[in-house]
Amino acid sequence: MKKVLIIIKREYLVRVRTRAFVLGTVISPVLLLALIILPSFLAERGGGGERRITVLDQSDDPLLFDAIKARVESNGADAGEPGFGSGTRFLLQRQPLPSDQSPNDWIKRDSNLPGDKASERAYLILSPSVLENAGTEYHAKNLSDFSIRGLEESVSAAISERRLVRAGFDAAQISLYMKPVDMKKFKIDVTGESTEGGMRQDFMIAFALLFFLYITVLFYGLFVMRGVIEEKQSRIVEVLISSVRPTQMMVGKLVGIGLVGLTQIGIWAISTALLSSVGVAMFAARGAKVPSVPMSLLVYFVLFFVLGFFLYATLYATVGAIVSSEEDAQQVQFPVTMLLVVPMMIFGLVMANPNSTGSIVLSMVPFFAPTLMMLRIAVINPPVWQVILSMVIMLVSIVGLLWLAAKIYRVGILMYGKRPNLAELGRWLRYS
Amino acid sequence: MNVVELKNVTKRFDQFVAVKDLSFEVRQGTIFGLLGPNGAGKTTSIRMIVNIFAPDEGDVLVMGKHVSPDLQPQIGYLPEERGLYKKMKIGDQLVFFANLKGVNSVDASRLVDEWLERLTLSDWKNKKPTDLSKGMQQKVQFIVSVIHNPDVMILDEPFSGLDPVSVNLLKNVILDLKHQGKTIIFSTHQMEQVEQMCDDICLINHGTHVLSGGLKAVKRRFGKNTVILDYEGPDSFLSADLIKHHNRFPNYSEIVLQDGADAQEVLKRALSGGARVNRFELVEPSLNEIFIESVTGKASVSNGGGRQN
Repeated sequence: MKKVLIIIKREYLVRVRTRAFVLGTVISPVLLLALIILPSFLAERGGGGERRITVLDQSDDPLLFDAIKARVESNGADAGEPGFGSGTRFLLQRQPLPSDQSPNDWIKRDSNLPGDKASERAYLILSPSVLENAGTEYHAKNLSDFSIRGLEESVSAAISERRLVRAGFDAAQISLYMKPVDMKKFKIDVTGESTEGGMRQDFMIAFALLFFLYITVLFYGLFVMRGVIEEKQSRIVEVLISSVRPTQMMVGKLVGIGLVGLTQIGIWAISTALLSSVGVAMFAARGAKVPSVPMSLLVYFVLFFVLGFFLYATLYATVGAIVSSEEDAQQVQFPVTMLLVVPMMIFGLVMANPNSTGSIVLSMVPFFAPTLMMLRIAVINPPVWQVILSMVIMLVSIVGLLWLAAKIYRVGILMYGKRPNLAELGRWLRYS
Repeated sequence: MNVVELKNVTKRFDQFVAVKDLSFEVRQGTIFGLLGPNGAGKTTSIRMIVNIFAPDEGDVLVMGKHVSPDLQPQIGYLPEERGLYKKMKIGDQLVFFANLKGVNSVDASRLVDEWLERLTLSDWKNKKPTDLSKGMQQKVQFIVSVIHNPDVMILDEPFSGLDPVSVNLLKNVILDLKHQGKTIIFSTHQMEQVEQMCDDICLINHGTHVLSGGLKAVKRRFGKNTVILDYEGPDSFLSADLIKHHNRFPNYSEIVLQDGADAQEVLKRALSGGARVNRFELVEPSLNEIFIESVTGKASVSNGGGRQN
């Protein structure tokens, strides 16, 4: 036990004292904060820029364009969803087009004309039958601008309005009844209490937690692998194993590096907690929305990091013991890293349906649980038994993996040269 | 008293038998040479003594007890393949390794200073291994194996890569330790070092015992069948039926006689062949000869001059 402590101490101090650790600890939260705050600031200042849209008007109603223009341009900055590169201001320009002419030909011709901002030209087609039942068309080179959703809403509302006027409704009545109906969103927490919140805020917090969990587990897992390879490649193991058991070496390394990760995450969690309590008010006063992270989520984050770290670091330590060099490790670590990447590819599904059977099952699979259960906790409040069950499953898996890894580790760290195949690995398990 | 004792030890890896029914004893306060060609089973034997492997059969005793983690602090091990942490200061590494052997931190830092001083490395205490030459790193690794003042030291190729000054320094330290009553197991391919330093030797090949005993006794067993001859002139006499083979070194030739051949006859033929003899000496075979003959079953062939280590 005392020897394990000595190893833990070395692994911890050697890494915490590096400049990379200090920089990583300080810079990551600053970057994250910038990522969260900048869009809100930009949106407030309408920094999204302008876009000129040529409206190819084939309708017989000249007032339609005015209605659309009024709505689109008055919507201004709220048209988009802040946080998604929003705030684009649309400037509309009417181009009447006879109904027998093809708007597509016109666009083809115009979009190829040289001139200012040629690549940003956009076109809205109002077909001759737009006031009966036809839809509209938007043509542009860039369709990934989130502001288009706001544009669509405005155009749709304006056309409906004109349709109603033509059907004989009173203009004043129309504008009264056509006022958008606001839907406030409330989140039900564990105690059954509802608090107002936004989808966007939930999404941002959930995604940030998921992403940080993924990055930290991967990062510290690879740290363990590199540590094992360093000792093996430089033959330090030869000296070490005459003093300690390989299992002690492995456990010492896992715990030592895990503590480095906890230190870093602890610093982040505390600064996030401070920011959530003090910072939110401060930024709110200046007009920027900062999502506040509930304390319980931070606690869960730390717990899931510890479980995720031990799960994956055990695997990475085994990889380190099997290979003889970092180059060799690239291939062998791939399946392990894939296990960690899979949840990052399917998290959208889980986020959309956090309570579906599929999501529940996935969040119980030990290798996916650290990230996906964390995500579910952030998005909804899953029943406590599910959270506990996933933790128990992870704990049992960790114990099992440690037992297996220790056997491979014991043989592996003394084997240099050719990488073993699966059959040889099986034999290693029997040696020990 | 035997400090280290192997009794009929066998160690297998899967189908491969690394050590087979091997026995030897190491007396307290002696330097013991464990010899053998590459792959003979030396490292496996050593790893069993330092409790890295457990034998499949037989007993490995250190200080009369079966090896266990409790005995590890009493053993110092300098493996042939050795390394240091690249990003850790020399002083910190040495304290770390001493701690692992059960030395407390206060004693460890005092011992580190003493040993660095002794091996003329004091200026490098706060440097990282990457700043040190290979030879200096070797000396640091040597300190790792002795810093906890073990009773038994196992040194695998301790002099490889060292300059003559450092070799001398280290030899004196080792002899010093011997005089303090420490027991040293020495594994090397450099037969010259063995001849200079070892009291007893054990030669193994293919995991089994080939020969062992006191260095002098072993040599005597082979008899005075070797002539050291320093001569100028024709060497036609060398191909004669009296001579098993010879090694020609720059300053002299080592001539191994056929069994029962008379050394005087060689001298006579050399002189009658017209050679000028500056030195003629009848000696025991060199350990190098014994090693090669025992391992290959036949003696080394004339190599026309190159000196072997």
